[in-house]
Amino acid sequence: MKAFVVLLKNELKLNIRNMNMVIFAIIMPLVVLAILGFIYGTKPAADGASYTFLEQSFGALCTISICAGGLMGLPLVVSDYRERRILKRFKVTPVSPLKLLVVEFTIYILYCLVSMLTLAAAAMLIWKVRIGGSWPAFLGSWLLTMVSTLSIGMMVGGIAKNSKTASVIACILYFPMLIFSGATLPFEVMPDAMQKIVRIFPMTQGICLMKSAFLGLPVDNALFPITVMSAVTVICIGIAVKFFRWE
Amino acid sequence: METAIKVEGLSKCYGNLRAIDNISLSVKCGTVFGLLGANGAGKSTAIECILGTKAADSGTVTLLGCDPKKDRKKLFQSVGVQFQQCDYQTEIKVSELCEETACLYKSASDWKELCVRFGIGDKLNSAVKNLSGGERQQLFIVLALIPNPKLVFLDELTTGLDAKARRDVWKILSDLKSKGLTILLTSHFMDEVEALCDEICILKKGNAVFYGTVEQAKEKSGCEKFEDAYLLLSGEEVMEK
Repeated sequence: MKAFVVLLKNELKLNIRNMNMVIFAIIMPLVVLAILGFIYGTKPAADGASYTFLEQSFGALCTISICAGGLMGLPLVVSDYRERRILKRFKVTPVSPLKLLVVEFTIYILYCLVSMLTLAAAAMLIWKVRIGGSWPAFLGSWLLTMVSTLSIGMMVGGIAKNSKTASVIACILYFPMLIFSGATLPFEVMPDAMQKIVRIFPMTQGICLMKSAFLGLPVDNALFPITVMSAVTVICIGIAVKFFRWE
Repeated sequence: METAIKVEGLSKCYGNLRAIDNISLSVKCGTVFGLLGANGAGKSTAIECILGTKAADSGTVTLLGCDPKKDRKKLFQSVGVQFQQCDYQTEIKVSELCEETACLYKSASDWKELCVRFGIGDKLNSAVKNLSGGERQQLFIVLALIPNPKLVFLDELTTGLDAKARRDVWKILSDLKSKGLTILLTSHFMDEVEALCDEICILKKGNAVFYGTVEQAKEKSGCEKFEDAYLLLSGEEVMEK
């Protein structure tokens, strides 16, 4: 436990010193919120809707940091450590791969948490965003979306041969999910045909669930996205630990 | 006397290149063993196969009575390693790297004191990347000693150090040896090998061409100076006649 805390403290410091994630996971979501806020203000999402456009987009905004951390930050940090032989040095110490992966995993959970809290504070104070549904349901779906996305990143980082491979895989996962799953471009403005295609992203499932939970809309079939995301989590973490490469 | 390192029939190929060929060696507890040879002779590959960071094609290795692959977590509580090429997180400071290393062990030694002994006590708040080559080398020896090890591997331990720093390192290692530490080292400095090593093994293109003490090497080659004996035995002798 002591080792975990010291590793977490030092690795978090290094990560913040690097600044990438501070920009992509904390500042960028706020910028997108501000842009949407200035365009839509407190306007309703559609004529006659009981909630505002920003309330409808809040869940999606929370996934920008999840995308940045899980699909860019986490895989790149782990594969970079592998390529720079930092993991090789860890291999000749008593530390387990699981501990190292969980330390990095926790760092990105913290980024996602900070991002969610700053977004909520800004949206509530400036644009009067109110939650129509329930906080526990929203936080539950947020947690599930975050853990499943981070576990994909953990798998890519755990097994990618070098940081170049990891970065290619990360880009293939990151940009489509960031742009098309509803994280930046609201799902509602996409044409029907496109909505059908992007539904296959696990992120899209998470965002839909978070939105319903935040707005208090009825959910037709919550079991399906929950099952998909839980399965992704278990499979990805299992693969990451089982096939972990030190170098 | 107990055996700290027992290697039998260790071989490793990279494609067609035989990096090490059927190496066997045995190092007693509390002694210093030197693995010598020209660049590319297979020293680092041998160390990595012994540690289990590279998979050997054949052969068996026992370190402190453990199998380095199966008993990794237990074994590396009491083994320290300094690799020839060491890397570190880009922005990390000396104190952070030491702390992060120390926290992994049950009975880590006081890393601040080790840094002071190795002459980098005033660099704790510097970024590792800003250290000079010699200071960084000393830091990596400190990292290998942080576990309070029973056995330590030092690959080219004093490369980049000035004459005074080299002597200081010898002194510290001799002290630790007298307290029971077993050391396996590689070096290109024959004065160092003569000063520290109880036994040596000279590698040439992956084969062990000499195994014994420094005195035996001099006898076998008929040379008075150990460096000459090494050059003769390793087949690196300068063409002067």
